[in-house]
Amino acid sequence: MAENKRIIRVMVGLCSLFLALVVYLTFIQLFKSKSLIANTYNRRQVKIEENTARGNIYDRNGVLLAYSEKNGEQQERIYPFGPLYSHVIGYNSKVYGKSLIEAAYNRELLGINEYSQVFGMASSSNYPGRKGDNIYLTIDHELQALGGELLQGRKGAVVAMDPKTGEVLALVSSPSFNPGAKELEKNWQVMVESQDAPFLSRATQGLYPPGSTFKILITAAVIEKGLENEIYNDKGSIVIDEREIRNSAGKAYGEIDLKKALAVSSNVVYAQLGVTLGEGSLKDIAQRAKFGKEIDFDIPVSASRFPHDSMSKTDLAESAIGQGKVLVTPLHMAMITSGIANGGVMMKPLLVKKLEDPDGKTDKDAKSAEFSKIMSKDVSEKIKVMMQEVVVSGTGHNAAIQGINVAGKTGTAENELSVKKKAKEHSWFVGFAPVEDPKIAVAVIVEYGGSGSDTAAIIARNIIKKYLSR
Amino acid sequence: MVEILLLLIKVIFIIVIYLFIFGVIRLIYLDIKSMNISKTNTMGFHPYFKLINQRDMLGFKVEENYTLDRSVTIGRQDKNDIVIKDPFISEIHAHVSVEGDMVYIKDLKSKNGVFVNGSRVDGDQRVLLQDGDIIKIGQVKFLFVAAGK
Amino acid sequence: MLGETTFRRPLLLIAVFNIIGYSFLFLSGEAYNWHIAALGTFVTLLICTVCLFIIKRNAGDEYLFLIVSMLLSIGLLVISRLNEGLGIKQFIWVLVGLTLFFSVYFVYIRVSKWERFTYLYIFLPFAFYLITLVLGKNINGAVNWISIGGFTFQPSELSKILFIFFLASYFKQPDMLFLKDSRYSEKTKVVVNRVLLMLVTYLNIGFLVIQRELGTAVLMFLVFLIVLYVYGRDMRTFFLNSALIIPGLLASYALFYHIRVRVEVWIDPWSDITDKGYQITQSLFAIASGGFFGTGIGMGRPDMVPAVTTDFIFAAICEELGVFGGVAVVLLFMLLIYRGIKIILGVKNRFNKILGFGIAVMFGLQTFIIIGGVIKLIPLTGITLPFVSYGGSSLTTSFIALGIMQAISNTDMDEAGGEIYG
Repeated sequence: MAENKRIIRVMVGLCSLFLALVVYLTFIQLFKSKSLIANTYNRRQVKIEENTARGNIYDRNGVLLAYSEKNGEQQERIYPFGPLYSHVIGYNSKVYGKSLIEAAYNRELLGINEYSQVFGMASSSNYPGRKGDNIYLTIDHELQALGGELLQGRKGAVVAMDPKTGEVLALVSSPSFNPGAKELEKNWQVMVESQDAPFLSRATQGLYPPGSTFKILITAAVIEKGLENEIYNDKGSIVIDEREIRNSAGKAYGEIDLKKALAVSSNVVYAQLGVTLGEGSLKDIAQRAKFGKEIDFDIPVSASRFPHDSMSKTDLAESAIGQGKVLVTPLHMAMITSGIANGGVMMKPLLVKKLEDPDGKTDKDAKSAEFSKIMSKDVSEKIKVMMQEVVVSGTGHNAAIQGINVAGKTGTAENELSVKKKAKEHSWFVGFAPVEDPKIAVAVIVEYGGSGSDTAAIIARNIIKKYLSR
Repeated sequence: MVEILLLLIKVIFIIVIYLFIFGVIRLIYLDIKSMNISKTNTMGFHPYFKLINQRDMLGFKVEENYTLDRSVTIGRQDKNDIVIKDPFISEIHAHVSVEGDMVYIKDLKSKNGVFVNGSRVDGDQRVLLQDGDIIKIGQVKFLFVAAGK
Repeated sequence: MLGETTFRRPLLLIAVFNIIGYSFLFLSGEAYNWHIAALGTFVTLLICTVCLFIIKRNAGDEYLFLIVSMLLSIGLLVISRLNEGLGIKQFIWVLVGLTLFFSVYFVYIRVSKWERFTYLYIFLPFAFYLITLVLGKNINGAVNWISIGGFTFQPSELSKILFIFFLASYFKQPDMLFLKDSRYSEKTKVVVNRVLLMLVTYLNIGFLVIQRELGTAVLMFLVFLIVLYVYGRDMRTFFLNSALIIPGLLASYALFYHIRVRVEVWIDPWSDITDKGYQITQSLFAIASGGFFGTGIGMGRPDMVPAVTTDFIFAAICEELGVFGGVAVVLLFMLLIYRGIKIILGVKNRFNKILGFGIAVMFGLQTFIIIGGVIKLIPLTGITLPFVSYGGSSLTTSFIALGIMQAISNTDMDEAGGEIYG
């Protein structure tokens, strides 16, 4: 009988082994299946692609931006506007893979969803007429096209956003390239080696010193500290720890208040303020504006930088005027500007508005979400007023539009060329309109474009005018 | 459309396999249940039926012994406690009631009747069984053993 | 106890399964493939006939073949889906297997005292090994195939069964098999017996290793250990042999390049994904692609997995029938093993008891080892999934083993001696 006991034990042992099989199998399906399906050596994905009509991509109003054409056995991806959307939609090449939206939304474009994972439709490649989902971007094609036109022949970026929802209305990077598969293969090597770096998505991944545009954040810190009513003496230049900081063209403005200092973009006043506010204050406002943090977006965004080590007086001074170790992406600058326009609340940036299944039913609708509260509503209102003054009487006058209240800030960022030659700074402009109820915020940068008021402000003006005149 | 149809077929397919598995488990369970009834104990009052026929002469499966530690029904249907697939046994043939140390048998309106020691049991009456009685149901003959009294 | 009526429902389900499966295959193919339709019809009819036969004739346990029928159905369906030619060949092998099944059943019942042939069980395997060494073909690095006509066959598969027969002979009266009537002391007899037991065992295992049948070797070793555990008179030999596991593993890891590769690939197949890790990673891709309900028969791409009709058939099942399908197969085997063990618990003839136990354990371990390898729970070994994998030798051995089980389950023939009349 002891024997029988042992037999039962063996039986239980075997059953446990079988149970282990079941558990492990379930484990694989629950936790590992996603990465296994996406593995590049799993050629099932390739087969699905060949059998599925890839979804189309449209702008927010239904303008067709990307579609697939059947070419015998193969599908060819066509981009009617060529280089205009290369840094938004990306490319879809058999040789070079997929990038940006084509990559991030690959599954949706192929009609694969979580549902199909449980029911194993990820591999059902054999039934005819399979279609993927269509994507509607938040981009407004008219604005995008205008931005592309205005940046023609230059290097830089244009970003336009709706401050209330976070929807990105335009995302232009220049120079660009033709994303069509054939052209890509022809020109790849040349473009990779090119000094102009056409593959760089400047709008989202170009890191530039913000220059004077950073002063809008400093202003917030100043107001929060209660120093907004101070009067400053601007002598045209100032020495901080043996480093001389000068205004543009060394102009001295004499006794001015904060509002005027922002309007004329006084480096002297702001450098001093940087020192006065101190490391803690500066780092605090930078943190609230999400410097150094990842920005969650449908396509990759480089994180902006603010010095995290201990800051000397010179560091403080330089940071306050947007130079030194401060680096920012045009998208982030647009987001910060939107934040000020939106009562101090920076919204999460959105690039995809909605997903539609092949029958026209909406699968997913993008929802706006708060990203960060940079400052209180009161503070933002005060800054708005000051930024309006920039356009009315200050350096931003080139952005003024008749009949519309525009607020903004110019930036003229020093770079490696500007120290040697004149008018070679990076030209920045950030702004929003109308001031009383902001509908659009923009950030424009033109590399080596000279002063902000000259180049970037004009581009921004055109974008805002086009959008608000509809 | 096509996707839903495929999904349906897949799910049905899987369900068929699992129904099969559960069906087999159920059968095994019933099998074990009926096996237990035919086990014998040796303590206390444990009456049982002992098969008299030669097992391999019958064309159906019967156990050697059937314990009667509680009331049981006998018949061809699976619902019975003692299931014997004898074509001469009715679906629900007889009822054996165990009350304390008294064991009765009753004919449940069977076609071919229940015989105790050669005499047919009356339709409405129940007959008290004694140790050594021979019970015939269909082709099956049992010896009633009332051990341990 | 339970007549045919109750079995109708599971039988019906098997028939429904086959009908749905083959119809789907038939309709979803590019052109209507009448071979598939014919195959499907034959398979369904065959399985139902055999099941009914067993039930009506009281020929032993009804559940064993019922469970196996479902496994056969799944196997045949998936193999036909993968390769019609192989499907037909498998069907033929099933017919051969069934013939063997019934032959073995009837022969086994009629022959009494199987323990008389002990020396046959010891020496016949070695004869087989020698034959294959001389005549054998080398397939995939294993030198143990014999080819007749278009069909290949592995004699070493039979040795598995013979080995279990040997174990049953030995443990019928443990430690008393050899030197039965000699004048040596009790103690000496026991020691000699045990030494001889281990000698025969390890020689068998050794031959399997030489033939590169490492999976089967491990299987035999584990069956040996488990039978020793249950039926040995004391635990000493068991512990002794168990202690050999670790050094054995380490030695084989150190000595055999083949094994090193298998272990490395088990731990990390991704670094050599195009070469050594290819098989197991493709298997994982297939399993992942199936989700819980599978892609549907014919809708997935199990053809991307190497050896998918033989060792990796479970991956194909998981891809097209989903994790639920795979789990169903595991459950079916669990039921089979359970039934086998339940049968032998009620058997009085000791030789049969041990034989049945050995067979049940063999089936159970074999299933675990191959499925475990395919899903990367344990390193891969080259053995097959009984009744499901394509393969003549695998099927025939499995049917022979099943036939023996069936015979053992026939309670009418079970007496301490094992004689039967008429």
